[in-house]
Amino acid sequence: MGKTTIRIISGLFLLLTGVVLSIVMTSPVQASCGAVTCFVVIGSQQQVPQKGLLTINGIYNYTPMRLLEGTSGVIPAIDQAGRRLILDHHQETRTITQTFTLDLNYGVTERFGLQVTLPYLKRTHRHIDELGEANGGAGESVNFFDNGIGDIRVTTKYNVLPTLRSMVVMGFGVDIPTGDTNARDSSGGVMEAPTQLGRGNVGLIGSVYQTYELVPHRVNQFSFASYRHTFRNNDGYQFGDEYLLNLGLNLVTVPWLVLTQQLNYRYLTHDNISASLERSQNPSDPTFPDEPIGLDPNISNRRVPNTGSTYLAYTPGFQINFGGSTSVYFYSQIPIARDANNNLAQGTSFVFGVTQYLRGPSLFE
Amino acid sequence: MKSQVIRAVVGIAALSIALMGQMDVPAWGMGTRPPAIGMPASEFILPDLDGRAQSLSQHRGKIVLVNFWATWCKPCTTEMPAMQTAYDKLRDKGFIVLAVNELEDEAKVREHIRAYGHTFPVLMDHDNRVANQYGVYGLPVSVFIDEAGIVQEYIKGGLLTEPRIYEVVDRIRTGAQLKVTAR
Repeated sequence: MGKTTIRIISGLFLLLTGVVLSIVMTSPVQASCGAVTCFVVIGSQQQVPQKGLLTINGIYNYTPMRLLEGTSGVIPAIDQAGRRLILDHHQETRTITQTFTLDLNYGVTERFGLQVTLPYLKRTHRHIDELGEANGGAGESVNFFDNGIGDIRVTTKYNVLPTLRSMVVMGFGVDIPTGDTNARDSSGGVMEAPTQLGRGNVGLIGSVYQTYELVPHRVNQFSFASYRHTFRNNDGYQFGDEYLLNLGLNLVTVPWLVLTQQLNYRYLTHDNISASLERSQNPSDPTFPDEPIGLDPNISNRRVPNTGSTYLAYTPGFQINFGGSTSVYFYSQIPIARDANNNLAQGTSFVFGVTQYLRGPSLFE
Repeated sequence: MKSQVIRAVVGIAALSIALMGQMDVPAWGMGTRPPAIGMPASEFILPDLDGRAQSLSQHRGKIVLVNFWATWCKPCTTEMPAMQTAYDKLRDKGFIVLAVNELEDEAKVREHIRAYGHTFPVLMDHDNRVANQYGVYGLPVSVFIDEAGIVQEYIKGGLLTEPRIYEVVDRIRTGAQLKVTAR
């Protein structure tokens, strides 16, 4: 491949970067209280390694969530223990999630792989609780902090149609509910489900990863799509289904430096809870400020307002290869379109990781 | 209704993207399985660096080492000197190396071959067809084919060494079959 061609491709790459960064779109969407993570496609995680090859990824992920300008952040409160859904009872301020992930990806055979993803999370959250009730109706500031293991994911993957130039990997994963679901906030109450480190029940994930060498060993495109369904937990809370779609390009500039960029799309359906329904008092209520007013005392399955979201981001990054078995990478996920619907919105996030390849004995000969 | 439409669109998009990458995969070879030991090797015809068409069958009667490689593949280029030495010693004793280059342009390959002084035939598999025939989706791969055109060994990854090449050639000549090995 000639140097002129490489220059043209690099120029197009930079031009695409500029075009995407110049686009700013906003549209209303719903988002959950606090808990989102990056979902950047990292190739070494998605592929099936060679037989007997263990790929280890150590990943650090910083994800902030704040209110968008012009939004109030007033959303319902969820009392899992009391099975209560209280409208307009919280005012969100901020959530910051730091995730340290150990990802182990092993080639069991040439086409079948097994992946275990162990997240360790540190989450801080702040909101105003008891709107319409405490402190003259202005509510009280509540802080939350928790750290620990999140839900561990185990994924089996099969390389469907491997060639030197293309790959399609089908995956089926299970989220194991190992994360804490009963951490308490500064007021002593159990924190709401979306902000806990775990989801409290099993999740099932189907995925497809596809890659094709547009210019062999120079430019490849990749795509990743997944669907996750989470079952209702023992608190009666069920997280909404998650759809992910990622499209990207890798450009090998020199053998040790790969530039990458991708578009990440996430669609979350709304959460559900089995709960009674109440609303916070407002100044027009004669008993304001006081405890919430009951609307429906029956415990029934209810859609949780201000949950579910649509999120589109542009993620540039790079990877540096050290020899044949180690690489480091960095990505910055920049939101292009966020549908926050008066809730916290994910801001610019960062991913830093290290990949190490180890050759071990094959489990199956 | 809107959510159902969105789900349908995302599902279709995901399926479409999954199929997109297969548009250019040749129908005759999907890179699925390596050739079975003891079975006839698939015939192929590829141009060499001089533009002459070379077929596998024209080397019937010799032991053929078909090696799939690329200049960017470090293990590939590392093992080539051993292949060259073995070729020099055995070429007059019924042994030949066919180095099948994958997906690169001729100028780059010619430059590499000239720089390292390789003299065995280098064949150009521009469209990845022969690699798919032989189930190659990682480099390097070495296939040893006996005088009757039967696959006798299939080596994926790792490094060929001179002793290893001589060992395989000796076994082929003595008629002992080997298993598929992967390092």
